[in-house]
Amino acid sequence: MKTPPCLADRLLTWLCAPHLREEVLGDLHERYVLRVQRWGETKARQRYWLDVLAYVRLSIIRRQPEEFPFRHAGSLFFLSPDMLRNYVKIALRNLLKNKSFNAINILGLTLGISCCLFILLWVLDEERVDKFHANEKTLYSLYQTITANGKVSGNYSTPVRYKDGPVFLVGNMKAAIPDIKYQAFYATGYELPWGHPETFQTGEKKFKLEGSRASSDFFRMFSYPILVGNAATALNDISSLAISRKMADLFFGSPQKAIGKSLRYENKLDFVVTAVFENLPAQNSLKFDFLINWEAQQKKLEWASNDFRTYVQLADNADVTTVETKINRFLQPQLDKNDRSIRIGLQRYGDQYLHGHFVNGKPEDGRIEYVRLFSGVAIFLLLIACVNFMNLATARSVKRAKEIGVRKVVGSSRLDLIGQFLGESLLLSFVAIVLSLLLMQLLLPAFNQFTGKQIESPVTQASFWGYATGLMVFTGLLSGSYPALFLSSLKPVRILKGVIQFTRSAVWFQQGLTVFQFVLSITLLVATLVISRQTSYVRNAHLGYDRENLLYIRIEGALMSKNNYLFFKDQLSKMPGIAMVDRSSEAPHSMGFVIDGEEGRKEDAISWEGKEKGQSVAFHPTSVGLDFVKLMNLKLAEGRDFSRANATDSTDAFLVNEEAVKQMGLKNPIGKWVSAWQKKGHIIGILKDYHTNSFHEPIKPLIVDVKEYEYFGVILVRTVAGQTREALASLESVYKELNPNYPFSYQFLDQEYEQLYRSEQVLAKLSNVFAALAIVISCLGLLGLIMFSIEQRTKEIGIRKVLGSSERQIVTLLSGNFFRLILIAFFIASPLAWFAMNRWLQGFAYRITVSWWIFALAGVSVVAITLLTISYQAIRAALMNPVTSLRSE
Amino acid sequence: MRRSDLGEFEEVVLLAVAALSPKAYSVVIAEELEQETGNSVSTGAVHAALQRLEQKGYLTSQLGEATAERGGRRKRLFTVTALGGRVLQEVRAVRNRLWDRILPNIRLEWS
Repeated sequence: MKTPPCLADRLLTWLCAPHLREEVLGDLHERYVLRVQRWGETKARQRYWLDVLAYVRLSIIRRQPEEFPFRHAGSLFFLSPDMLRNYVKIALRNLLKNKSFNAINILGLTLGISCCLFILLWVLDEERVDKFHANEKTLYSLYQTITANGKVSGNYSTPVRYKDGPVFLVGNMKAAIPDIKYQAFYATGYELPWGHPETFQTGEKKFKLEGSRASSDFFRMFSYPILVGNAATALNDISSLAISRKMADLFFGSPQKAIGKSLRYENKLDFVVTAVFENLPAQNSLKFDFLINWEAQQKKLEWASNDFRTYVQLADNADVTTVETKINRFLQPQLDKNDRSIRIGLQRYGDQYLHGHFVNGKPEDGRIEYVRLFSGVAIFLLLIACVNFMNLATARSVKRAKEIGVRKVVGSSRLDLIGQFLGESLLLSFVAIVLSLLLMQLLLPAFNQFTGKQIESPVTQASFWGYATGLMVFTGLLSGSYPALFLSSLKPVRILKGVIQFTRSAVWFQQGLTVFQFVLSITLLVATLVISRQTSYVRNAHLGYDRENLLYIRIEGALMSKNNYLFFKDQLSKMPGIAMVDRSSEAPHSMGFVIDGEEGRKEDAISWEGKEKGQSVAFHPTSVGLDFVKLMNLKLAEGRDFSRANATDSTDAFLVNEEAVKQMGLKNPIGKWVSAWQKKGHIIGILKDYHTNSFHEPIKPLIVDVKEYEYFGVILVRTVAGQTREALASLESVYKELNPNYPFSYQFLDQEYEQLYRSEQVLAKLSNVFAALAIVISCLGLLGLIMFSIEQRTKEIGIRKVLGSSERQIVTLLSGNFFRLILIAFFIASPLAWFAMNRWLQGFAYRITVSWWIFALAGVSVVAITLLTISYQAIRAALMNPVTSLRSE
Repeated sequence: MRRSDLGEFEEVVLLAVAALSPKAYSVVIAEELEQETGNSVSTGAVHAALQRLEQKGYLTSQLGEATAERGGRRKRLFTVTALGGRVLQEVRAVRNRLWDRILPNIRLEWS
């Protein structure tokens, strides 16, 4: 039998609504057959075409509104409202049914996400530092790359030549290079080695404040809001001074009243307040409460340090590398001809906060390393939490396998199931993020205190919500991914028959995740132990001198005159609570001044008997009073201390430390001559090495001479133990009487010493928190797993008990596997942690060794914590009466 | 019952369904109408009319058996509902009344 024209059929199939296709085509074919019998094939075919065309009408073509409209849309079926309702219902039922598991999941995710949120806030805040300036895109910091003796170093300072103080070689480059729109110098007044808070006075009011000096373009370039005064001219005049709102309030009561008033600086210079700027924002790296005109600093004041910064603002369309080349071309002819070469580079001003450490003479690392480190830790914590979710969901899939089987049988596609499970994990991560946001809101003040930042609650920022949503989706998808893929791959026939068996790879994966969690936990634990050991080591190590009951005050004001100083010392020594008083040119715990032969400019500052030509040793030089060694309780290795009995000691005697002897290459050093600047004398004794700086730096050669009086430096006061209060009272009364124009301030040496390790202390605190969090989250996961495993094996345990197994055997059976996993994790984590912590310790010249017992301790504590976590569950299971467990069906 | 509810073709189709019941489906209806009227009638037209009638509630349908000529496809069989029957009767009554009023001599003239 001939068939009707297939082309016509095809056309009709395409045209006709699916639900009508059968009858329409059937009709046509039947009639075709009739017609072939009646008229023959040719005519029948012609009529067939006509008949087909007769079906071209709306009622045939229009598709039926389907009862299940998404049925034919393939993977989108699971988006239909009914299915969605069903998913939500099932998800909620599951949530409620397994409260403990879901609580574990949500708690873990909440901890992970909260941690992420906090670190996100911190990172965002760090990234925002210095970015608020209107001209931020064209602001650049100058840095120099110095090559000397084959060594490359770099810093932010500006090349200078010394001639009655520093002469700035790039001083007028703005005139020579048109691409530079503005140029400003900046230097602080409080940085080491000679910086300090400076005293201002008006009438009876006197305060110490930390401030800086800047040249006149400064306020034109940087957008620090000026409250009163003119930004363009604020620092033009030699007597001009710009002060912060805080300082204006302190001295004058309000910014408006401050303008045009005069302030006395260090009781020797008068400045006129020309501008009041708003208190500096938190996200700002330059810190100052006042700015002194640059010219005044150059002509009338002493520099606090050799760190002179230069900032430039380029023209909008200027090319940075071209400007760099031009600056270098401008600079090179002015440099001295020696083996040091200096090249200038430009760094975006906004980048210097995070990338402020020099590697090979270029600014690269810096705080960004902390940003990276913490971001990494945050991601790891989140990963651990996600792993919990994956592990529990996979393990518990046995319980849900039936549901999956039924869903598959009634036509759920794999994609539908994946969608369902991802949706469920998204729901959980949604709950977790809501909790985290609440937690964040609650803990933000504590967090700010902890990090020393002023982060405001970000709930009003759209971008933050973007991040939060991103975090939620990421967490949801990540934690849901494996369960979704695994569960949806199960074969319905096997599930419904009741045989569910994890494939080898699924078991591997699940155990791998647990191992991964514990690798992270153990690594963090080791890190915490090492960091806290190292910080306690640097805080408690004997420094070679006695830092207890020791305080110092700056020599300033009236104390700068010899008679006053001697009178002060004399008076104070007799007062109650004071054991000894002497002076030193620098605070002894952190000596900033280094005479470095390599720097070339003071080549022959220090010389000694038998010094070879070209030999250069970097010295910490210091001038002290005769009692310094006794006061500091320093030990001598050889020779003798300074003594009043020897009249020549104040002019001829030098002490050096052992390191100096070693580096100078002296044999029998006692009695050899040394010279420091113009002073020539002999070595009378060798001091045992003591720490003149933080433990980050190795002990440098030290050379000490006697100057009973100097107009700078610090006065060291040893107080009698237990009488600190009396000592302070004595100190204050003598000080006030002698130096009335300066506010009385003092520093305890031990406290200042600890300040040197501020960032380590923060790190130690943070690593404690992180390690605790990591362990808590991992243990939550473990708790979930053991609970599940017990649930699964209730019958097995019952049967074992009936057949005579002891409780101990059952506990071992239940927990043995977990300990195996932790053991594996331990062996993976140990080398990792060892490597990481050794790298961290490289930053210290004096450090603890990472010995085996730290790892042992970490391992044992993790095992102990694990034991605590799972033993309760395991023992409870083991103690269960087999009758109950076997009867339960 | 408004007259406009039933088109002329629809009326014929409805009548054909009633006449061919219980084996009324589009092919036989189309064939029958072709024979009766002499004009060619496409199943498409019939099908559309049947759909409309079913929508109006004058017809019901169910799927019938499949045959070889149809390529194994089932046919849709139609039956007149009570409502459909009443409508047919009403239409017929209207026509009858009108017929009855035609004067006999005019009828004579036609024949």
